[in-house]
Amino acid sequence: MADTEKIKSLSGLLKGIAQSKYYGNTEINEELLKRELYPDLPLDEFRALHDKMQGIIKSIVSADMDANQIEAFLTAQTKKQGGITAEQSTVIAKFWKNHKKKIRESMINHTRWENTLKGLKWRIDVKSNSRYSDQVNNSAAAVVEMEIGTNDKQTEFLCLEFNETKMNEMLKKLSEVEESLAALTKIS
Amino acid sequence: MASVRSVHAYPSTSAINNDRISYLGAKIPPEVEVMVKHLKDLDKDMFRKILKAVVGALEGKDCREAVKVIEQNSLLSEEQLSFIIAGAHTLLRVALRLPVSALKQEVFKEDLKELRIPDDFIADFSNIVYGNRRPILEDAALKQGIRLPTMEDLRWRVDVAISTSSLSRALQPSILMQMKLSDGESHRFEVPVAKFQELRYNVALILKEMNDLEKRNILKIQD
Repeated sequence: MADTEKIKSLSGLLKGIAQSKYYGNTEINEELLKRELYPDLPLDEFRALHDKMQGIIKSIVSADMDANQIEAFLTAQTKKQGGITAEQSTVIAKFWKNHKKKIRESMINHTRWENTLKGLKWRIDVKSNSRYSDQVNNSAAAVVEMEIGTNDKQTEFLCLEFNETKMNEMLKKLSEVEESLAALTKIS
Repeated sequence: MASVRSVHAYPSTSAINNDRISYLGAKIPPEVEVMVKHLKDLDKDMFRKILKAVVGALEGKDCREAVKVIEQNSLLSEEQLSFIIAGAHTLLRVALRLPVSALKQEVFKEDLKELRIPDDFIADFSNIVYGNRRPILEDAALKQGIRLPTMEDLRWRVDVAISTSSLSRALQPSILMQMKLSDGESHRFEVPVAKFQELRYNVALILKEMNDLEKRNILKIQD
């Protein structure tokens, strides 16, 4: 196998592992990767390579390594007996650079079980008339629709009405949350 | 000139002589017409008692007990009483719907006269619509309008996930919110930081839009 091809296949394998293990893509499995990327490699050798890469990625993901950490980690891997080659190390580093953010996000979403706020739509109405009153004190009202749900379950739409006072109250609460978040980022 | 008509030239005695349409509409609601028939021989005190129950109903109170007491202490049949209550309720509800500036007291009285409601009773109706109970009745009307639930309370907590089954060092903040609504329901949901920023931005934007709307004066629609 030529070097460029080796690099290409390994890069494909890493992406395949990311898809099946971290992005929840069920269509990609070991067999498919073997067939598409390493058709000439004996099955047991492919399996060894696949498991080794999967293990390495798992360690990297779990520690959410930054640039320095991954360099140290991969250097150690190349020196270890039965470790990886320098070429493979470069491919892995490149892969991690591209996928770090996405994999982390996906992992965080995996450990979220509560309903989450998924979307928000709003409209501002002016009330003008009703059965009981010809002039509903002419106030503006915001109608807010919040989409709330979990990843797999059906989402629920929550419709609320806010007048200006209520909206102000809400903004105040959210500002408090914001302050608390800002304080956190400062510490870390 | 026989064709010239004016309200003052022919003191309002019948609808034919009056070009203005009654505040109750071109077609008088049937329950009001039926009520008028039953008012003829009604005792004034009894009428006041009935009105009190109707006003209570307009204020959103449960008036079944009050009506039962009236029925037991009067010679009116249940049917007659129902007609009077239904008519008075409509007559008052429609009048209270209109702002005082749109339906002047004199006009209101005139309209009731057209309906041939006895003068004493007109005064009583008028005292309700234009008396000191008006603000209370308007408040009640406001509450009776349909509306979506509103937010009663919002509680929040900022969490930081330290470690998870797939990330040894997650250190990811997220916000847990619990909203209590005016219809008694409670909703709890998590808000990722990015979504939180979106929420906050939109809330601020809505407020700004509401303020702008007020400045533009389109809210001051008057007749």
